[in-house]
Amino acid sequence: MRGRRTPLRRVWSALFNGYGLLFLAFLYLPLGLIVVYSFNANPINMAVWTGFTLDWYATIFRGASVEGNFDAAFTESPERIFAVVRNSFAVALLAAGLSTVIGTATALALARFRFVGRRFYQALLLLPMLVPDIVLGIALLIFFVGAGIELGLLTIVIGHVTFLSSYVFVVVSARLAGMDTTLEQASADLGAGPITTFRRITLPQIMPGVVGGFLLAFIISLDDVVITYFIAGVGSQTLPLFVLAMMRRGLRPQITALAVLILLFSFAVASIGLFLRSRKP
Amino acid sequence: MLYFHNSKKHWMRRRGVHRLGFLQIATAYKEYQTPEGPPVKALNGVSIDVRNNEFLTLLGPSGCGKTTLLKCIAGFEDLDGGDLLLDGLSLRSVPAHRRPFNTVFQNYALFPHMNVSQNVGYGLDVARVARAERDRRVAEMLEMVGLAGLGGRRPSQLSGGQQQRVALARSLVLKPRVLLLDEPLSALDRKMREAMQIELKTLQHSVGITFVFVTHDQGEALAMSDRIAVLAQGRLQQIGTPTEVYDRPANEFVANFVGTSNLFTGRVIAQDGPDLTVETANGRRLRAQGTGFSMGDAVRLVLRPEHLAIVAPDQGQPGCIIDGRVTDAVFVGSVIQVHADVGFGRRVMLLHPHDSRNAQLDIAPGAAVRIAYAPASAHLIAAEGGLAG
Amino acid sequence: MKGDTVRTRQRNTLLLLLAPVTLILAAFFMVPLGIVVVYSFLEPGLYGGVEWTWYPFNYGRILGWPLNDYEEFDPIYLLIFLNSLKFALLTVLFSLLICYPAAFWVSRMRAGRKGLVLFLITLPFFTSFLIRIYAWLLLLRPTGFINTTLQTAGLIAEPLDMLFSGFAVVLGMVYIFTPFMFLPIYANVEKLDHSLIRASQDLGANPVQTFLRVILPLTAPGIAAGSVIVFIPALGNFIVPSFLGGSKVQMTGNVIERSFLQSRDWPFGAALALLVMASVVLVLMVHAVRSGRSRDRVVA
Repeated sequence: MRGRRTPLRRVWSALFNGYGLLFLAFLYLPLGLIVVYSFNANPINMAVWTGFTLDWYATIFRGASVEGNFDAAFTESPERIFAVVRNSFAVALLAAGLSTVIGTATALALARFRFVGRRFYQALLLLPMLVPDIVLGIALLIFFVGAGIELGLLTIVIGHVTFLSSYVFVVVSARLAGMDTTLEQASADLGAGPITTFRRITLPQIMPGVVGGFLLAFIISLDDVVITYFIAGVGSQTLPLFVLAMMRRGLRPQITALAVLILLFSFAVASIGLFLRSRKP
Repeated sequence: MLYFHNSKKHWMRRRGVHRLGFLQIATAYKEYQTPEGPPVKALNGVSIDVRNNEFLTLLGPSGCGKTTLLKCIAGFEDLDGGDLLLDGLSLRSVPAHRRPFNTVFQNYALFPHMNVSQNVGYGLDVARVARAERDRRVAEMLEMVGLAGLGGRRPSQLSGGQQQRVALARSLVLKPRVLLLDEPLSALDRKMREAMQIELKTLQHSVGITFVFVTHDQGEALAMSDRIAVLAQGRLQQIGTPTEVYDRPANEFVANFVGTSNLFTGRVIAQDGPDLTVETANGRRLRAQGTGFSMGDAVRLVLRPEHLAIVAPDQGQPGCIIDGRVTDAVFVGSVIQVHADVGFGRRVMLLHPHDSRNAQLDIAPGAAVRIAYAPASAHLIAAEGGLAG
Repeated sequence: MKGDTVRTRQRNTLLLLLAPVTLILAAFFMVPLGIVVVYSFLEPGLYGGVEWTWYPFNYGRILGWPLNDYEEFDPIYLLIFLNSLKFALLTVLFSLLICYPAAFWVSRMRAGRKGLVLFLITLPFFTSFLIRIYAWLLLLRPTGFINTTLQTAGLIAEPLDMLFSGFAVVLGMVYIFTPFMFLPIYANVEKLDHSLIRASQDLGANPVQTFLRVILPLTAPGIAAGSVIVFIPALGNFIVPSFLGGSKVQMTGNVIERSFLQSRDWPFGAALALLVMASVVLVLMVHAVRSGRSRDRVVA
C-alpha cells in the first residue's frame, strides 16, 4: 500500500504547489508590474519599455523642473504632494491614536467585567466593520452637514475613529483573552492599586496587541478612500483622495512612481505589524 | 517583632502581640447565580476564628467553598453576608490591594515579563521601598527559600518547585499578617509534594506568620496543620487539631472524608457511664465509648481500619467482636488491606500488619475471621437519619 | 466609606472604560445611520437640501411603489441593484474558487514556510486598494500589459476589449477581496480534524466522496464567513466599477455617489443606501441563524 501511495501523493503535492505558485503570482504580478513600469522611461505607453529612468520619482520630489521627456502640465508639484502626505499622516496618527485608546479601554471593559449589556456591546462593536463603507460615508456626510460641522481634516478623523475603534477592539480583545487573569489578582494581592496593576502588569502583557491594533488602525486610516471621500470636504485632501483625483485625470507615470512609494511604505508598516502580532508574550 | 510593612498602602500598624480574635470570619455567606435554577450557596454561614501564628488548613472536596472563602479573605470576592474582622475591625470596605494578606496562587501567577528578583521585589516596589533595602530584603528572602543566586532567571526557566518558592518568597517578603495558600502543591509530583509539605511547615514556624492553607487532600492537611477546618457544601463541618478531627470526627462527613471509616448505624440500648452498647437494625450489638449520649439515641459508630484486628476465635472482648468472611486481601506494602463480608450485605475494611509473626492467621479470601477492637477506639457520632447497619 | 465595596469601585471603573466608545458610536454611528433612514423618507429640496415632509416616494422611484405625480418609477434603479447583486455574488463565487484550494495548499505546509506564505498572502490586504485597482487598469487597458504582450507575441491582431466591462469589475473586486475570503477559510481548514478524513477513506469512500461528504461540510463555516465578509463590501462598492467599469457598468454605489455629490438628491441616495443596508442586514441575519443552528446541531 505504501509504495502505491507515494507517487500519488507526489502528484498531489506538485498540483498543490503549482496552484499555490499561480495563486501568489496572481496576487503579486500586478503589483510587480507597477514597480517595473515606474522605472520605464516611456512617458506615453507604460507597457512599452523604452529605457530605465528614475525621473518619475524625481518629479515627486522636485516637480516639473526635472529634465526629462514628460508632460509638465500633467505633473503634480512636490508641494502639493507633500501637503497631501502630511494631511494623511496627521489624520492617520491622530485617528489611530484615539481609536487605540478607545478600543483598548472597551476591550478591557468587556473582557474583565461581567455586566448586563455585555453581549449587546459585543455585537454593537462589530457593526462598524460590517456596515458598507459607502453607507457610513453618506451617513456621516448628512450628519456633519446637518449639525453644521464644517467638513475638513477634523471630520475625517472623527469618521475614522468611529470604525477604527472596532478594529483595535478586536485585536486587543484577542490578546486579553489569551492572558492569565491571575496575574492581575497577584498584583493586587501584593499591594498594587488598580491603576498600578494596569500599568505594570496588564499593559505590558497586552502591549503587542495594542501596538498591533495601532498599526492596523494607522494603515487602514492612511488607505481609506470611500468614507474619506464623502466627508473630506473641499479644502482638505488626503493621499488616497489625491491619487483618486490623479487617476481620474488619466494615467501618468508620476502616479505609478507615487504608487510604488506608497506600496513600499505600506509593506514596511504592515510587516512590522504582522511581526508584532506573531510574537508570543 | 511582627509589623505590617507596606508604607502608604496599609491601613493600620500593629505589633505582633497575640490577640483574641485575630482574624475572625463571622457567619460568612456568599451565593452565586446559576443560569439554570436557584442560586448556589458557596458559603452558608461559615464562622472561623483564625489564631495568630497558626497553620490552619481549610479542607474539603471541590465545591465545598474553601477556595471561595480564601478569595473573600484576600479580597478578590465580596461576601454577600456576614463579615471579616481583623483585630476587631471590619475588612468589608477594604479592597484587596490594601489588605495585609498575601496569596500564593495555585498556578503561582509569576509575572512572565519580569525575572525572579523583580517578581519577588514587586510588592516592595509598589510600596515605594528604597532600592537598597528592597534589594537586601529580596536577597534575604531568596536565601530563605533556597533560591539564592537565581534572581536573574525568568519564571519560564525554572522548574515547578522553584516557581513555587518564588511565589512564596514574593508573598513572604512583604511580611503579611496572614499568608493565604490556594492548593499550592497540587501541581507538583508526589515526592516533591511531600518534601514541600515539610518545608512549608518549617517555614511557617520560622517566620511566625499565620498560614491559611487550602487543600482537598486530607493527608496533606493532617501532615501540616495546627488546626484543620473541614468544609462541605459551604458549611463548616468541624474545626480542630489533626488528631481531634481524625480520632473524634464530629459527623459522618468528616469521618468519611478524613481517613477511611467503617460506619455502623444503630440506637443506644445500654449505658454504663461512658460505656455504651449500640444495637444496629440487623441486631448486631457493638460497644463503644462516648459522652453526651442517652438511651435510645440514634448514633453512628465509627471504626477506623487500623483499630480493627483479626484475632483468634477465642480472643476479643464481648461486644467488640464482628465475625465475617474475607473477600479481598490487598497488599499495599507495609500493611494488607483486608476486606471482609460481615453479614447482612455489610463489608468492613481493616489493616492487617504484614508481619511474619501473624502468618498463622488465615486471611486468604474465603477464610472465616473474627474481627475485634478495643471499645475505647470506637467513636460515636449523632446520626442524622437511620440506615441499616 | 460606608457601602463603598469592591463592587461599587468596579462599577465606576467599568463606566469610565465604556464611556468613550459609547459616546463615539452613539453620536457618530447610530445617530448618522438613523438620519439616513429618516432622510430616505424626506422630500428633496429644489436647490439641494431637504424639505421636512413625509415623502416615501423616493422608494417609489426605485421600487415602483409608492408613487406620486412627481416621481416616476424608473426600473433602471432596480436593474442596477440587481446588477450589483449579480456582481457581488460573482465576486464571492470566484474568490471562493480561487481561495479554497489555496487554503489547503498553505495548510499542508511545514511550520516555517507556512508563516512566510501566510505573511505574503496577507500583505496585499494592507496596501492601498486604489493602487491595486490601478495595477489592473495598467494590465487590462488596450495599451496595457496583457494586450501589448499578446500583440507582440503575435497571438492577437487587435487589442482585446477587457476594460470597462463587467468582467473587469468582477476581476478587480476578486483581486481586492481575496485576502478577506482567504483568511476565514484558511482558519477553518487549519482546524480540520484529519482523523475524520482518514476515517472516511478507511470506510471505503473514494476521494470525491470524501471531499463532498466530509471535507466540504466541515469547511462550510469558513466558506460562509468568507462569503459574507466579501459580499458586503462588494455590494456597495463604487470605486471599482468607476475605474474598471466606466460608464457602461453601473453599480448601486455609483448611483448613490452621484446622488450625493452631483445631483444633490440626498433623500434618493439615502433610500438607495437603505436598500443596500437592508440586503446586508438580511445576509447577516441569515448567516447568524444558520451558524447558530449548525452549532446546535453539532452539540446535539
